[in-house]
Amino acid sequence: MLTVENLRKSYQVGKTSYEVLKGVSLQVETGEFVAVMGPSGSGKTTLLNCISCYIPADSGRLCLGKTELARLDEDALAEVRNKQLGFVFQDFLLLDGLTVRQNILLPAIIGGLVSDMTEARADQLCEVFGIAGIRDKYPAEISGGEKQRTAVARALINHPLLILADEPTGNLDSKSSRAVIRSFEQAKSALEATIFMVTHDSYAASFCDRVVILRDGVVWRTLEKGATEREKFQDLLLDAVREMGRE
Amino acid sequence: MRHFSEVCALMRRKNKKQYALLAGCCFFSVLLITAYVCMMRAPTVLNVLPEGGDSRKQVMMIFALAVIGCAVFTTYAAGLFLRQKSRETGVLLALGASRAQVWGELGRELGVLSLGSCAAGAALGGPLAWVLWQFFRLAVVDSEEMRLTFDPSAYVLSLAFSAFVMVMIFFLGRRSVKRTNIIDIVQESHKSEPIRDVPRWYGPVGIVLLALGGFLGYMSSSFFILVLHWYPPEGLTAVFYVPALIGLYMILLHTVVNGWNGKKKLYRDLIATSQMRFQGRQTVRNMLVMTLLIAGAYFGSFYAPMLGTGSMMGYDRRPVDYAYHFRADQDIPLEAEVRALAEEYGVTITDFAAVPMLRLAVDGNDHIEEEGPVGTTWRTEYLEVLNSNLFLSASGYEALTGERVDLAPGEIRGVLDAEGTALGFRPDATLLTNYLTKERLAVTPLEPLRYDSLFERYVMNDGDFARLGAGLPDEWRETQVCFNVENCAGTYEFAKALFNEIVDRSTLDVAQFDGWDPVVRDRDIAKDGFYFLDRENCGSAGFTVIDYGQRDSSAFRLDWQYMPEFRILDKMDFVKTLAVFLILFVFIAVVCFSAVFVIAYTRCMTIALTNAKVYDDLRHLGASNAYLRRSVRGQVKRVFLVPALVGTGLIYAFYVMIMYFNGSPAGITSSEAAGLLTALAVIAAVSALMVGVYRLTLAQVCRALGIRR
Repeated sequence: MLTVENLRKSYQVGKTSYEVLKGVSLQVETGEFVAVMGPSGSGKTTLLNCISCYIPADSGRLCLGKTELARLDEDALAEVRNKQLGFVFQDFLLLDGLTVRQNILLPAIIGGLVSDMTEARADQLCEVFGIAGIRDKYPAEISGGEKQRTAVARALINHPLLILADEPTGNLDSKSSRAVIRSFEQAKSALEATIFMVTHDSYAASFCDRVVILRDGVVWRTLEKGATEREKFQDLLLDAVREMGRE
Repeated sequence: MRHFSEVCALMRRKNKKQYALLAGCCFFSVLLITAYVCMMRAPTVLNVLPEGGDSRKQVMMIFALAVIGCAVFTTYAAGLFLRQKSRETGVLLALGASRAQVWGELGRELGVLSLGSCAAGAALGGPLAWVLWQFFRLAVVDSEEMRLTFDPSAYVLSLAFSAFVMVMIFFLGRRSVKRTNIIDIVQESHKSEPIRDVPRWYGPVGIVLLALGGFLGYMSSSFFILVLHWYPPEGLTAVFYVPALIGLYMILLHTVVNGWNGKKKLYRDLIATSQMRFQGRQTVRNMLVMTLLIAGAYFGSFYAPMLGTGSMMGYDRRPVDYAYHFRADQDIPLEAEVRALAEEYGVTITDFAAVPMLRLAVDGNDHIEEEGPVGTTWRTEYLEVLNSNLFLSASGYEALTGERVDLAPGEIRGVLDAEGTALGFRPDATLLTNYLTKERLAVTPLEPLRYDSLFERYVMNDGDFARLGAGLPDEWRETQVCFNVENCAGTYEFAKALFNEIVDRSTLDVAQFDGWDPVVRDRDIAKDGFYFLDRENCGSAGFTVIDYGQRDSSAFRLDWQYMPEFRILDKMDFVKTLAVFLILFVFIAVVCFSAVFVIAYTRCMTIALTNAKVYDDLRHLGASNAYLRRSVRGQVKRVFLVPALVGTGLIYAFYVMIMYFNGSPAGITSSEAAGLLTALAVIAAVSALMVGVYRLTLAQVCRALGIRR
């Protein structure tokens, strides 16, 4: 589904160049729920922004399905973002002037794909994520958790190959966080979505099938959940983070 | 909702205040510029602003300021609009909208908004100018020459400015969508506008540079011309004002970034100062434009009170109620006719004197301009026959003034005004010539006399007067008449009748521009074949063509060589005579102050828009309403107060400097002092208005931030 090979990215600050990604390689399979963890400055968000095509990588290979993203022009990239990727941001990025339902429909409207079926899917997503009762409300009238579930529904409206989530629980309380993670699980199980999530939160990451831990711009360790219980997996994640801190 | 344009329409509805703010700014700037241009290019105004004259230069200078001011605040408003818009642009791009798709909608919105607001501004600018002008006509003064006519070509400038606004908005809009990094666009609205650290010496050094630049800028022209005998090219002297501009920028930068309180009130002003600092670049730019506009507006505002006070004091200071002179070959009313006319109007003449004067040639240094490799230079060349002046005998002077002057043969005394101002008249002739008989007399100039109504005359010994006057024809002789009346204030009708009688009976031979000189004329014709002040050349040389039919026009009253000086007539007709000047400058002040108020209001509302989250955070940290209000007041006050103080102080100091150096000798006369006091009264009135706008703005900002009164 997603192949990242030897990805490198550096930022120029004044005359100094800082290499943030120093050759990251990973793969995400269809239907997988993968998290990327790591301390601040490890390159998590940069990796996500490169995969999202928001910023260009310096070198390396990024393939979504059979499409190599670096070879696409501006319009083709926009189409990939619209039709093959779904986005969930830390601060939701809903448009204040649109209702919950209209926000969910937005990627379809941008792609010119709105039909009766699309509207029905929006309503179905509202049902799945428990936001049907607020679908005619505006973002200013709903809670943070509801906003993020709206964002998850929006990310799914175009049947994307991959959902990219940047700290989706970062701005939420624990109850709302649980609701958002549940919505990812539902998306995975009910809608067969593939999810790639960047997070600091070991609780959120413990729901994933696999957790990639980044450190100083490289993959430090990958933990598979397998048949491990969620609580146990969270402990393993915390142990790994502690171990990383000791090294 | 299924189409992208419907999404955009919904967002427009949601953000209608931002659209209204940008449209309002475009409309207002084009409205002001159009109104200004319509006024500035109106034949009514151009007729009274001589080509190349100081008044026209001032009007152009303030116009340039107004254009810069309006351009800056429209650009600022567009930038602000796009910054606020950037979040939704970023979201749309992040969700897969193409740039062409986003630009298609945004471009259409900007096109409709800018075209509509600019067209409305341009369409209403002319009517606004007309309404304001009519208001002034009704409220202040009305005269024939005040009828406002428009020149359609004025709209070319208005259209050019509208085009600039539209191109600028499109350029900024296109640029905002074109940015490649979506992350930057998404986070655009959270970005502050940092400025580098500003050393604390910026403040004092700025003040020194400001003072130095003002002084150098004003004095450089005199230095080049009087000391180096060189006419600098247009614009060179403006370079010397550059340190003033740099100094002004440094002062504002220091005020915004460091403040003037040092560390005394560091914690009390922490929030206000910090927030200002992180929006420093835009704030300083806005404040700089506001300062210059305030200075320009005051420059316009001071014109009327300075001129009015000075002129009124001059009329009151005149030693006689009625004074006029005429060439001896003219049939102008003398004592018998004047008394008869006075009787007709019930006016009592208390004393009457009419004495002869001679027009004699005098020596002096001719001012010769030469073109050379460095431009135009000048030198002087002594000529025994330079130009001509009017001469009174000592007894004649005594008859007119009651003041006895003892002059030995060969002695002369020039006459300055009561304040001893020379105004270009140098009473230092040493050789007099009867231009017709060529009889000559070497003379010694003594200490000048002072008498307003006889300014620029000479007084000479009676014997010399008789000898040099022998053989002079009537064209070279004049009669000076002075008389007083009882209850001068009640003699306007008589004054008007006598003035009309004098004009009606003057022939075209004396329809001459003030300064016309038969001696200079002969020399110029011999040299160049024509004399620029001859009636037929006046118009093309940019001087008023004296037309007896236009006797009530300001041009006629200011420029006719034989214009009588009747105290009551001049006083009563002063406003009417100079109405166009007065109203033009008042109008300019209105335009500039309006621009200042709009810029300040927009800037302050930006504080509310961009800092709303900061005030929410402060509230969460337990800040009281009073604390929040004080913090907002600190910022709003700085936006208003600093440009107002600096702009006002700057222009007042500049005016004092002009008043001090413009006379000879340097100094401030009593009429100038009175004018400066009146200007202070104008400052007080405008400041009161500014305080009103400041309070209104503060209330609006507090309301937007949810801060109670």
